Amino acid sequence: MTNLDAYRIAKEPFYRSVGGEVGLFEAAYRSRMPVMLKGPTGCGKTRFVEHMAWRLGRPLITVSCHEDMTASDLVGRYLLDAEGTVWHDGPLTLAVRQGAICYLDEIVEARQDTTVVIHSLTDDRRILPLEKKNEVVKAHPDFQVVISYNPGYQSVLKDLKESTKQRFAAIPFDYPEAAGEAEIVMREAGADKRTAETLVRIGARSRNLKGRGLDEGASTRMLVNAALLVAAGVPIMEACQVALVIPITDDDDLRDALTGAIAACV
Amino acid sequence: MTTSESRKETVRAFPAEWQGRWSVAHARIDQAGYGDLVASAYRSAGPIVATRSGPAEAIRLGESVSLAAIRAGRRAACLLIDAALHAAEAARHPSELGSWLELIDDIARRAPKVLSAFLQNGSQVLDILGFAGLAVFARMGLDLGRDDARRLAFFALQSPEARQLLERQHPSASLPELLPGLKPYLRALWGISPPIAETPGDAPEAMRRRAGFGGGGIRLPPSYAGVPASDQKQLHRATLAHIGAHHCFTRKKLPAKGLKPLQLALVSLIEDARVERLAMREMPGLFALWRGFHVARPEGVPVAITLMARLARALLDPSYEDPHGWVSKGRALFEEAAAADIGSQQLSRHIGGLLGNDIGQMRLQFDARSYVVQPAYRDDGMGLWDFGDDNPEVPYEMQAPAEGARLEQRDGDDGRTEPDPIPDVSSGRAAMVEAGEDVAIARYPEFDYVTGRERPDWCTVHEPAVPMASPAALHRAIEQRADLANRLTAIIRSSKVSRQQRVRRQAEGEFLDMDAAIEAVIARRSGQMPEDRLYGRYERRHRDLAVLVLIDASASTGERVSGRSETVLETERLSVAMLAKAMTELGDPFALAAFSSNTRDNIGYQRIKDFAGHYDTAAEGRLAGLQSHNSTRLGAVIRHAGKDLKRQLSYRRLLLIITDGEPHDIDVDDRRYLVEDARTAVHGLRNDGIDVFSIVLDSDAESYAPRIFRRRNCVQLKSIETLPEKLPGLLLRLAM
Repeated sequence: MTNLDAYRIAKEPFYRSVGGEVGLFEAAYRSRMPVMLKGPTGCGKTRFVEHMAWRLGRPLITVSCHEDMTASDLVGRYLLDAEGTVWHDGPLTLAVRQGAICYLDEIVEARQDTTVVIHSLTDDRRILPLEKKNEVVKAHPDFQVVISYNPGYQSVLKDLKESTKQRFAAIPFDYPEAAGEAEIVMREAGADKRTAETLVRIGARSRNLKGRGLDEGASTRMLVNAALLVAAGVPIMEACQVALVIPITDDDDLRDALTGAIAACV
Repeated sequence: MTTSESRKETVRAFPAEWQGRWSVAHARIDQAGYGDLVASAYRSAGPIVATRSGPAEAIRLGESVSLAAIRAGRRAACLLIDAALHAAEAARHPSELGSWLELIDDIARRAPKVLSAFLQNGSQVLDILGFAGLAVFARMGLDLGRDDARRLAFFALQSPEARQLLERQHPSASLPELLPGLKPYLRALWGISPPIAETPGDAPEAMRRRAGFGGGGIRLPPSYAGVPASDQKQLHRATLAHIGAHHCFTRKKLPAKGLKPLQLALVSLIEDARVERLAMREMPGLFALWRGFHVARPEGVPVAITLMARLARALLDPSYEDPHGWVSKGRALFEEAAAADIGSQQLSRHIGGLLGNDIGQMRLQFDARSYVVQPAYRDDGMGLWDFGDDNPEVPYEMQAPAEGARLEQRDGDDGRTEPDPIPDVSSGRAAMVEAGEDVAIARYPEFDYVTGRERPDWCTVHEPAVPMASPAALHRAIEQRADLANRLTAIIRSSKVSRQQRVRRQAEGEFLDMDAAIEAVIARRSGQMPEDRLYGRYERRHRDLAVLVLIDASASTGERVSGRSETVLETERLSVAMLAKAMTELGDPFALAAFSSNTRDNIGYQRIKDFAGHYDTAAEGRLAGLQSHNSTRLGAVIRHAGKDLKRQLSYRRLLLIITDGEPHDIDVDDRRYLVEDARTAVHGLRNDGIDVFSIVLDSDAESYAPRIFRRRNCVQLKSIETLPEKLPGLLLRLAM
C-alpha cells in the first residue's frame, strides 16, 4: 500500500484565524462531516485546510479540479505495464483507503458527472464503489472530504448540483479585515508594518472594482506577492504593477485607473 | 516706417523678377477704392508675407483682399490682412498659407456675412487647432445651414458646437476619451459609481469651468482651459478624488440660509480642506496629486480671492509658508479644530464664518459673480449646500448629472420598456408615445471627407413615436405570398452560424479521441468489450445570429414601384414582415427599425421591434404605420443601430439596411459628403465585429453603394417588386 507520509504536514502552516472557523472545522471533523469552503480566490482557503490537516494530524491529498477531469482521474484506472493491466488508485481512492483528508480544490471547475462520484462518500454510506475493478472500498474512519468553491466566478453554466451542495457543511471565507490582513502580509512576506498597511489599502481599492470591470479584487495572496517583491528591493509602485495590476486585468483603462488608485495610497 | 525704409524692405522681400508684379498688385488695391486703410495695410503687409511665405503668396493675398472687400466690405478686408500676417507666421510651409487663403475665398463667396467674425477669431482658432483644424472648423461653420445667425454665433465662438470643437482640441485629452478610465478610478478610490456627465455646452460659463456634483451625479467640464493636454487626465483625477472625498465625509448638506456669497465660499474652502485631510489619512498618495495643482504663492496683492487660494494651499500643504496674518490665522484655527474633532462638519461652518468676518474688516472686496474656486480640481461647492426649495440655481445644478443618467439609461435597447403587447391598437400607441416622445436620444459624430476628420456630436438622433396602423392589409399581403414565407423559413433554418464545438466519442470524425482510444485498448486487453466511438470532430451546433433590419422610410419610398400599385415602402414592409415572421419562428434575436432624417439636428430612428421585445401585434401595427417622409442621412443611423447591436452577445451580428437611394439630406449640398460618412460608419461597425449589408433598390446604386458597403456586401435590385423573392436567398448568403 502506498505510504502517505509524503502527504503529511510536518510544520505548522501559518494561519491567522479570522473567526470561529478552526473550531467549526474541528467540530465537523469529529463526525467526519464533509466541509465546503466558500470564498474568493486567494483569501486563504487552501492554507486553512493545510493548517487543519496539520492540527488534526491527518495526511492531506489535494486535487485541483479542471474541466477535462474525469471520474477515473479521481477514482483510479487500469494502466498497462509489462505485466499486463494494473489497477492504479486515484487520489480519492487513496484517501478513502488510508484515512486522509481529500481536498478537491475549485470543485465547480470539474464537470458535474465527475463530481457525483463523491456522493456515496459524503452521506452515511461512506463507501466508494470502483465499478471497473468490481470492488467497493469502505472509507477509513479518519477519511474526510473537503471542497473549495469560489462563488465569484460561478456562472449559470458552472454551479454545483443541488444534490452535491446539500451534502456539505459550508464555512464562508473572505479577505480578512485591514489590520488582520496587514498582519498576514507582514508575517508571510517579512514586510514592515508600513508597507503592509499600504498594500492592504491598495487591496481595498482594487476590491472596490469587483464586478465593475474586475472579476475579483486583488487577493491577500497578491498582496503577499507584492510585499515579497518590495522586500526584495523593488519600489512599491513597480511591485504593485508586477504583482497586481498587470496580472489582474488586460484592459488599459482599468490598469490605468488601478495605477492611479495605487499612487493615491502610497 | 519711413518711405525709404519701406522701399528697402520691399526690395529685400521681393526678388527683382517679382518687383513688377508686386507693384501691379498693390497698385490694383490702391486704385480699387477700398479706402486708404486697406491700401496701406496691404502695402505694408505684403513684404512681410513675402518674407515669411514667399512673394507668390503675397500677391495672391491681394486677390483675396479684393474679393473680401467686394463681398464683405472694407472692414473684412482689413481684418483679413491682419489675420494673414498671423497665418503667415504660423505657416510652416508656403502651401499652408495658400490653402488658408483659399479657405478665406471660399467663405467670402459662400457666406460673406460671417467673414468678419471668422477673421476676428480665426487666429485664435488657428493657434489651437492648426491649419487642418481651422479648415475643419470653417467647413463645420459653413455647413451649419443657411441660417446666418447660427453661422455667426458659430464663428464668434459662441455656439456650443464651436466651443466643443475647440475644447476637444486634443483627442487624447477629451473627456469622452478619458471617461472609461476615470470611472473605475473613482470607483477604486471611493467605492462609488455615480453617473458622470460632461457639462453641456450651453451651461453657464461658471459651471463650465469647474466640476460639480449634486442630484446623485457628477458633472465634469469638457476640459480645463489653459491646462496642457498631458495634465488634463491628472486634473480630472484630482477632481474625482476630491468629489469622492465629499461623498464620503460631507455627510449632510450645509444649510445655506442667511449666508452671504463670501461666507459660502469660505465655508466651502474649509470643508474642502477638511474632507481632503480625512481622505489623505486613508490615501496619503492623494497629497502629491492635489498639491501639484496648488500654485498660490505668498506674494502679490492680497485681495480676497488670492488670499483664499493661499489659504487653500496652506491648509493642504504643511511645508507651505505664508506670512499673511489672515492665512496663518485660518491655518491655526483649522489645525486646532482638526486636532479636536476633524469629523465634525460644524468646524467648517464655524471657521468659515470667522474668516469671513475678518475679510470684511480688512475691507477686501469679493466679487461673487467672477469668483471661481481655486485650485482648478475643486468642485464649485454648490453640491455642499442646501439652498432650500425656492432657489432657482439648484435645479439647474442638479439637472446636468441627472440628464446624463437618464440618457445613459434611455439610449439602450435593453433598458427600454416595450409597450404592452395588447392587441388594442390605441392603448399600445399611447404607451409608445410616452416612451418615445420626440426626445434627443443620442449624438453622433459625422465624418467630413474633405478634411479627413470627424465633426464631434454633429448629428442628433431622435426616436419619434411610430404611428400605429391596422396590420390587416399586411396580413393579407403575406397570405398571398405564403409559398415565399415558407421558403424563407426553410432557408433560414438551414443556415447554421455559430461557434465551433469539439464533440467527443463519436463513431466517426476528423480526429482520434485519445481518451476513448486508450480506454478501448485497455478494455480489449482486460478482456472486456471495447467501445467503438473513438473519434471526435468539430461541429457548429447552434445558430447564434442577431440581425437588425433598418428600413429606409425617406420621402422617395413613397413613390410607386414602376408598373405596380404598391409603393416602395409597401414592398419593403411586406418583405420585412415576412422576414420577421421567419426569424420569430426560429427564435433568432432580431430587431426592426426605420429611419429618415430632416437635417443633422433631426434624424429619426423609429423602433418597430427591439431585440428584447416580441414581434407581436403592436410591432406589426408599427410596421404597418410607417410613413414615407424626409431624407436619408445614413451614417448617424448606422452608428445608432450599431450601438444596439453591440450589446447583443451573439456570435454573428448583422446589420441589414434596405434603402432606396443615395444618402442625402437637405442641409448638405456635397453629394459625396454623406456617402463618405456612411462609409466611415460602416467601417466603424465592422471594426466592432458587426457585419453590415445592404439591399439597394435603385438602378443607380453602382455609383455609391459599393463605395459605402463594399461590393460584396451590397445587393442592387433593379426591379423592386422582386425584393420579397430575393430577400431569402440574400439572407442565406449573409448568414453563412
